[in-house]
Amino acid sequence: MRYDSITEAIGNTPLVRIDPAVHGLRNIDLYAKLEMLNPFGSVKDRPAWHMARPHLEGAGAGEGTVVELSSGNTAKALALLAGMHGLRFKSVTNRMRVPEIKELLLLLGAEIEELPGRSECLDPTDTDDPLTHFHQALSEPGSTYLHTDQYFNPRNVEAHAAGTGPEIVKDLDGRAPDWFVACVGTAGSSTGVARVLREHDPDVRVLGLVAHKSDFIPGIRTIDEVHQVGLFDPATYDTIESVTSGEALDGMLTLVRRCGILSGPTGGAAYQGAVRHLRDADSALDGSGRRETAVFIVCDRAESYLSYVRARRPELLGRAVRGHTLASLTEDDVRAEALSVGVEAARRRIAEGDPGPLVVDLRSPHAYAALHIEGSVNIVDELFEELVRGGLPFGKRTPVLLACPVGEKSLRYAALLTRMGHPEVRSLAGGIVAWRDAGAPLVRE
Amino acid sequence: MDVPLYLRPRVDPPLASLLGAAPFLHSLVDALGSPLNVLLPETIAENAERFRAVYRRHHLTGRVYFAHKANRSSALLRRLAAEDPAHVGVDVASPAELRHALGCGFTGDRIMATGPKDPEFLWLAARVGATVNLDSLRELDQLAELVRTYGLGRADVLVRLSGFESVDGHGGAGTRLLSRRSRFGTPVREVETVLSAVERHADAVTLTGLAYHLDTTGLAEKGRALERCVLLMDECRARGLAPRAIDIGGGFGVGYVADAEEWERWTTALSEAVLGGRPPLTWRGHGYGLRNEGGTVRGSVALYPGHRPHAGPGYLDELLSLPAPVLGRAPGTLLLEHLHDLHIEPGRALADQCGLSLARVLDVRPTGEGPDQYLVRLGMNAGDVSLEEHGVLVDPVLLPRGGPEDGGQGPVGVHLVGNLCLEADLITRRLVFLPALPRAGDLLAFVNTAGYAMDFHAHRAQRQPLARTVAVVGEGDSWRWCMDEDYWPITHPGGKPV
Ligand SMILES: Cc1ncc(COP(=O)(O)O)c(C=O)c1O
Repeated sequence: MRYDSITEAIGNTPLVRIDPAVHGLRNIDLYAKLEMLNPFGSVKDRPAWHMARPHLEGAGAGEGTVVELSSGNTAKALALLAGMHGLRFKSVTNRMRVPEIKELLLLLGAEIEELPGRSECLDPTDTDDPLTHFHQALSEPGSTYLHTDQYFNPRNVEAHAAGTGPEIVKDLDGRAPDWFVACVGTAGSSTGVARVLREHDPDVRVLGLVAHKSDFIPGIRTIDEVHQVGLFDPATYDTIESVTSGEALDGMLTLVRRCGILSGPTGGAAYQGAVRHLRDADSALDGSGRRETAVFIVCDRAESYLSYVRARRPELLGRAVRGHTLASLTEDDVRAEALSVGVEAARRRIAEGDPGPLVVDLRSPHAYAALHIEGSVNIVDELFEELVRGGLPFGKRTPVLLACPVGEKSLRYAALLTRMGHPEVRSLAGGIVAWRDAGAPLVRE
Repeated sequence: MDVPLYLRPRVDPPLASLLGAAPFLHSLVDALGSPLNVLLPETIAENAERFRAVYRRHHLTGRVYFAHKANRSSALLRRLAAEDPAHVGVDVASPAELRHALGCGFTGDRIMATGPKDPEFLWLAARVGATVNLDSLRELDQLAELVRTYGLGRADVLVRLSGFESVDGHGGAGTRLLSRRSRFGTPVREVETVLSAVERHADAVTLTGLAYHLDTTGLAEKGRALERCVLLMDECRARGLAPRAIDIGGGFGVGYVADAEEWERWTTALSEAVLGGRPPLTWRGHGYGLRNEGGTVRGSVALYPGHRPHAGPGYLDELLSLPAPVLGRAPGTLLLEHLHDLHIEPGRALADQCGLSLARVLDVRPTGEGPDQYLVRLGMNAGDVSLEEHGVLVDPVLLPRGGPEDGGQGPVGVHLVGNLCLEADLITRRLVFLPALPRAGDLLAFVNTAGYAMDFHAHRAQRQPLARTVAVVGEGDSWRWCMDEDYWPITHPGGKPV
C-alpha cells in the first residue's frame, strides 16, 4: 500500500468476527467494524475529512481557524487535518473530562476553549450564554472561522453512507446484517450506516445506544442530549437503549483481553449493549435452523482512556508497591515510632545544635518560596516519597527536622525514616502553621 | 395518565419530624394565617458545623460567613451569633442587614460587608470594625476618605476580584476557560491598580485578603480562581502587604430533590414534551428555556439543578480536593501550605433544611382541560415562595386537615395557583403530582425554602397578607414555637432559660 497523503488511508477498515465462545450467542454471528484502525484513530476520521475537505483543499495556506464543538475524536481528526493544511484548530467544549485527550489535543496544536458551568443563581435575563457568543462570533462578517458543525452537518452522515455502510455490505458478501448496533454521539455513523443497510434490506434492525442519564461515557450522549443533536432522528432506530459506564468498561475489557481488539469505552459499550440486546433474539432463533448476523462499531482505541479507567476501576491499574512507603505504616506505627518536637525546642536545636538539624520543608515549591524557615531545604512530599522508597536520603549522623503545614504528614515520614534506621528524625509539631502562630521568623525567597 | 412525575423533596431528620407533626403545623396556621414561614434555627448551626468539619479535614482555619441575603430571619442570625466567633460570621449586603446583624449579637469583627456600597454603608461598616469586601476602586477611595474624615480606626478590607478567564497564559498553553461575566468586583487584570491604591491608603485601610464570588456551579472555574488568588497573595506579600485570607464566596448549592431518578425522569420528559412527543408538563407548555426548532431541542434549561450529587459542604470538599491547574496541588493543600485562612460565604447552602413555607388550600376545581387535572388555589402567591424565580422545582408535601383521608383516590396532577388576581400568579408552572387530591383547609408545605425562596420577593401586592415567620425548636416528641423576632438562642421559646 502506497499513499500520497495520510488522508488516503481513511476508511476500508476491517470487519472482524467475535469468537462465539466469548459472546455466547449460538445463532448470531457478531462482527466488529474496527473504525479504531483509521489513521487518526477513530470513527470520526471519515466525517472530519468529508466535512472539512472542500474548505481545506480550497483554503490558502495558513489562513483561518477550523472550529468544532468537540471534546474528543472529531477534534483530534480535525486538529490533524487543519495542521496538514496550515490552518489552526479550536475546540469549544464543556465536556473535556478525559485529561489524556485534552493533552493529546494540545500536543496536536489545538486551542481549547472550555465553556463555563451553569449559573448558580437563575437570571432569566441572562443573554450571556457562551454558546450564543460562540455562534455570534462565527457569523460575524469577515470571520475566518470554518465551523464544521458536526451535530448538524449532513456531510457527517454522508461520510458514513458513502464509506462505512457500503464497506460492511461488501465484507458480508453483498448482504446487509440483520442487526446494526451503534453508540450515538453526533448520530452521524448510525444514521449514515443505517440508511445504506436499509437500502439493501429494509428489515435490518438498528439498535442505538446512549449513555445512562446520570452517567458519563466519553463520546456518546445521554438520552436528553441526543435530542439536541440536529442529525438525530428517532426514526433511524428500531430501539434506543442506555448503557452505563460500568457496562462500557466490562465490554471494553472483554474486547481487549479476550478478542485482541484494543477498544475504548464506546466500543465496549457497543459490544456489551449488543450482546445484552441480542440475547433474547438469539434464544428465539434456537431450533429454527436460521443464522443471523450483527455488526457493531468499535469507535476508537483504549490508550486515551486510562485515567477514565483509573477513576472507575482503579484495581485494574493497580501498581505493585515496592520499597519503603507511607502506606506500609499503620496509625499505631506512626504513634509508636515517630518523634516530634515543639516550636520552641525546635528553634533551640536549630540555634544551638551541633550539628544543627537539616530542616526539610515538605510543602510545594511555591509555598516554600513565599515563606519558609530560614536555612531549610524544600523537598516536596511527592518527590520525598519517591526518594525514600529507594533508601535513606541523608546520612545517619545528620539530625533531620521534617516540616509540613500542620505536622501530620511530616510525622508519618518521621516514623518511616525512623523505621528505616535513621536515629534522629523529628517532626515539627503543629508544622509551619504552629511556627507562624508562635511568632517564629519566616523568610521569603 | 402515565406514571406520576413526582419530584419529591429531600427532607432530613429535624424537618422530617416537623412535617410529621401535622396537627401542630395546622394549629400554627390557624393562629397566624396563611402563608406562614417556619424556621429551625438549630439546623443552621448544624449546617455551619458541617462546613467546619470540611475545614478540619483539610486542617484549614478561617470563617464561615452566612450570606444574610438568603433569609431575613432574626432567629437564624441569632442562632449563628451564638456560635464560636472564631468560626462563624455573617456577610451583609446592605446597611439594614448590617444593622440587623449587629442587633442579633454579631460584633463588628465578625461581619463582612459585601456587594455595592453607599457611603452610609461604608461608614457604618468601618465604624463598627466590619471587614469591607471591596467591590471597586471607587469604594476603596470612598472608604479611605471616610476613615480619614471621621477619624475612624483603620478598616480591614478584602479586594474582590472577577474576570479570571482573561488572564493570559493562565491554565496552560492552548486552554482557555470561559467564564460568565460578573459585574461585581475588580477584573483581575486591574489588580495592580487596586493594590497600588491599597498601598496609597495604607493609613486608612489594611488589606486582610482577596475575595471572589463566581456565579457558577463549575468546580473547574472556581478552582482556577482560587489558585489565581493564591498566586496573587504572593504578589501582595512581595509588595510588603500582609493579607491572610482568601474568601471564595458562596454558591455551594443545595440538593432539593431527594431522588436522582425522579429528577432525571422529569427533565427527560421535559425535552420530550418540548418536542411534542408527550403531553406538556407545565402550564401552557412552558419549556423552561428549551424550545423546539425543527424537531431538535435548542436553548438551555433555566432550572436550578434539582438533584445534585455534591452540594453544600460536599461541594466545598470537592473544590478543595480538585488538583489545581498551574501549581498542581489541590486548593485545600495550597491554602494550608501557604498559611492562608479560608473564608466562605454560603447563603443557600447554610440555610439548607432550615425551614418550610406553609399555605392553606383555599379552593380545588377541575381545569376543564383533562379529566384528571385540577387547579388548586392557595393562600399564598408567587411572591411568597419564589420557586419559579429561582428555577427550583420540587413537590410540596400535602398535610391533610384531619390526618390522611380515605377515599383512596391516588395520585393526581394539579396546577398550584396563588391568591392574586393575575394570570401569571402561579406558585410553580409545573404540573405537580400529589399523592391525593387536596381539599380546602388542607395545608401544602413547601420544604427547604429558607434559602432565597421564603421571603425574597414577598410584597404587599393586592393587600394580601404577608407571611409571618416563626421559629420552632424540638422538645422531646413535641415542638415549641415563637415569633421569629422573639427567638433568642439562650432561652426556650417562651423565655425559659435553656
Ligand atoms: C458576594 C456573595 N457571597 C455569597 C453569596 C451567597 O451565595 P449562595 O447563596 O449561592 O451560597 C452571594 C450570592 O449572591 C454573593 O453575591
